[in-house]
Amino acid sequence: MIHLDGSVIMTAMRIVVPIKQVPETNAVRMDEETGTMIREGVEAVVNPLDLYAIEAALQRREACGEGKIIALSMGPPKAAIALREAIAMGLDSGVLLSDTRFAGADTWATSYVLAAAIRKLGEVDLILCGERATDGDTGQVGPGIAAWLDLPVATYVGGIAGFADGVLTCRRLVEGGHELLDVQLPAVVTVVKEVAAPRLPTLRGKQRSRQSDIPTCSADDLDVEESNLGLAGSPTRVVKIFRPSVARQCETLRPRDESELAEACDRIVEFLQHKELV
Amino acid sequence: MNESSFNPVTDTIVDELRDIVGPSYVVYGDADKLQPYSHDEIPDRHYAHMPDVLARPRTAEDIAAVMKLANRDRIAVTPRGAGSGLSGGAVPIHGGIVLLCDRMNEILEVDEANMMLVAEPGVVTAEINERLAGTGLFYAGYPMSLETCSLGGNVAENAGGGKAVKYGVTSRYVLGLEVVTPTGEIVQLGGKLIKDVTGYSLVPLMLGSEGTLGIFTKITLKLSPAPRSSVDLLALFKTAEDAIAAVPTIMTEGGIVPTAIEFIDRNAVKLACDYLNETLPYQDAGAMLLLTCDGPTTEQVEREYEAIGEQCLAAGGIEVYVADNATTTERIWSVRRNIAEAAALLGEHQANEDLVVPPAAIAELVLGLEAISRKHDVFMPAYGHAGDGNIHTRIIKRPETSIEDWQAALPGVLREVYTLTARLGGRISGEHGIGHKRKAHMGQFVSEAYLDLCRSLKKAWDPNGVLNPGKIFDL
Repeated sequence: MIHLDGSVIMTAMRIVVPIKQVPETNAVRMDEETGTMIREGVEAVVNPLDLYAIEAALQRREACGEGKIIALSMGPPKAAIALREAIAMGLDSGVLLSDTRFAGADTWATSYVLAAAIRKLGEVDLILCGERATDGDTGQVGPGIAAWLDLPVATYVGGIAGFADGVLTCRRLVEGGHELLDVQLPAVVTVVKEVAAPRLPTLRGKQRSRQSDIPTCSADDLDVEESNLGLAGSPTRVVKIFRPSVARQCETLRPRDESELAEACDRIVEFLQHKELV
Repeated sequence: MNESSFNPVTDTIVDELRDIVGPSYVVYGDADKLQPYSHDEIPDRHYAHMPDVLARPRTAEDIAAVMKLANRDRIAVTPRGAGSGLSGGAVPIHGGIVLLCDRMNEILEVDEANMMLVAEPGVVTAEINERLAGTGLFYAGYPMSLETCSLGGNVAENAGGGKAVKYGVTSRYVLGLEVVTPTGEIVQLGGKLIKDVTGYSLVPLMLGSEGTLGIFTKITLKLSPAPRSSVDLLALFKTAEDAIAAVPTIMTEGGIVPTAIEFIDRNAVKLACDYLNETLPYQDAGAMLLLTCDGPTTEQVEREYEAIGEQCLAAGGIEVYVADNATTTERIWSVRRNIAEAAALLGEHQANEDLVVPPAAIAELVLGLEAISRKHDVFMPAYGHAGDGNIHTRIIKRPETSIEDWQAALPGVLREVYTLTARLGGRISGEHGIGHKRKAHMGQFVSEAYLDLCRSLKKAWDPNGVLNPGKIFDL
C-alpha cells in the first residue's frame, strides 16, 4: 500500500476504478427537432471503455495475489446497476456518488467530485480509468482526477508491463508506436482497448453483487465546495448538439472502353497515393 | 414429366419479362451480374448453377404474369429471397428465370390490436423487431442469419433458429399467406385468424415447401408480448459429454423452459472466436452451452437463470457467465451466430449438416459424431440448437488432405453420420431444408409412400413442373 504522500506500507494494491453508466450505443436515438439524445427506454450499460479499466484492475490484483478494487460512479441512483455489474465481474465493492446537486456536471465538476470521493476512501495506489465515455467522448475525467489529487497521470495506456518498488511500467500508445513509462504510484492511469480483454460476469459474481451493499455518498458526505458542483460548478456549457453533415467529395471515373481503363486505373492510384493510402 | 426438358430463355421472353417487371429490373446476358444468383450459402460451388435471366418483381401480379409465361413456354422459375439458404433451395439448377423478391420489402401493416403484422417476403427478418420497438410486441422468429435473411425465405424453409426451444419455429407464427401458385393464380391462404378450420389448412403445407408449391407475396405474422427481461448464460464444460448431458436435465428437471439452449463444441468456439477476435476463455473448455431465459419481469428471469446456472454447475460446469445487457449479450450471441461464416472461410470442401433427433437423443448424437470424427480423422466442429435436438456439424477438409482423398472419404463419413441419425429416430434436416443438396438421401429417412404423396401433390399444383424444379425429391 502506498499513501498518497508516497510512503509504502504493504504490497497488496488498493485500486479505484471510476466508471460511468452510458446509454447502449446501438440503442441511441436522436430527437431530430431538438438535437438531443432520447434517453427514455434506452438501456444503460457500463461505459464499454471502462470495462477495460475493470479488467486491467482485476489483472493487477491477480498479479499481486491480493488487493482491493473499488468501483466508483457518479450518477443517478440507477447507476448502482453499473456498479453491481462491475462487482459481478470481480471487483470488491462499489460506491455510488448520487446527489441532485451533482446533476449536469461537466468533466471539471465530475472529476472534482470523484477526486473528493477518492480522497475520502483513504489510501489508494492506483486509479484506473477508461480512456473516455462513449456518450460524452471527452477523455478528460481521468486526467482531471489526477489534477485534483495532484497525482501523476499516464493516458492511453495499452499495456501494463510490470510493477516493482511502487513503480508501474505502462505501455502508452502514441501515434506510430508506444512509450514505456515508469509511473510512481499512487497515480492515475487511463487505459485503451489494447490493455486487456474484459471478462464476462459470472453467476457467482452476479449472486455476490446482488447481495452487496452499495453505499451512496451525497455532497454532504464529501469535503466539497457547493459552488463547484453540478451544472452551477461547470465552466463548460453545451450550447448546441447537432448531427455533423458529411460532405463526401465523389469522383466518378467512367472509362468508355478498354483503352481508357488504364487511364482510369492511373487516376485511382494517383488518388490513393495522394491520400497516402498506398 | 421430364425435368430436364425446359425450354431456353429467348430474347423474346426477356422482352416479355421486361414488360412485366420493368426494364431496369431484368438482368440478362451479363454473367458477372448473374453469378451471385447462381448459389446460396452452401460453400461447395459444385451445387451452384447459373440462371439465364434474373427478374425482380414488385407485385403479386408481376409474379403471376411471370408464372403464366413460364407455364406457357415451359421455363423453369426459381424464387429467391436473400440467398442465405444452406440446401440450394434458391439455386436455379435448371437455369431459366430467377425471381428475386428483394423489391417486395415493405412491412405493410403493424396491427397492434390483433397483435399481428403483415409483411412482404423481401423484408429482412431483423427489421421486423426494429420496426416493433416501443410497441411492447415482438416477432419470436430468430434464425441465426436474421440480419441478412428475408422473411419469404424463412417461410419457404420454415426457419428455426436459436430460440425455438421456447418459441418454436417460423410455422408457429405464420397465420396467413398471399401466394402466387405455380400456375400463376393469386390466392389467399389463412388470414388474421387464430382459429380457422374453414377447409384444408394449406398454410402449414406452404411452410417449408422450399419454393416448390408457391411464391409468397404477403405474409401475416402473429406477434407476441415482448419479454421485458432477457438474460443469457454461457456455461463452460470440461468435455462435450458433460455439456450435452446437462441438456436433458435442464429441459426436464428444472420446471423451466429456457428460450434457447445452444451447444457449441470447442472446435466451433475456436473458429468463431478466431474469426471475431474474441477472447472468451474457451481454452480449458471442451464445449459450451449458451442458454437464454426471458420473461415479463426481471425478478422472474433472475430466478430462472439462477436455477439453470446452478443446474449447469451441478452437472460439472467449470464456469457460468451471465450476460444481462446489450454489450455482453451481443458478445456471446455473435460467437454463436458467426460459427457458420467462420467455418465457410475454411474453403468449399465441406459438408454442412443439419441433423435433428428426438431431444432426449441429443447426447447420443453429439457423442456419436465425435466418434465418427475421431475414426475418420476429419475436422467436424459441432454446434447448434441442443434443446430442440437439432445439431449442425460441418465435415471440413483438413488443409493437408488432398482433394482426391477428401472426395473419396466424404461419402463414407456422411453415410455413418446419416445412419447414426436414422438409428436415433432422427431426420436429415431440422431447419435448413432439402433443396437439391440432400434429396438423394431422402429415401433413408422417409418412406416411398410419403414421397409418392408429395409427388402427386406437386404434380397437381404445378402440372408443368416449372416452379423450383429439382428440389426436395425427384418427380
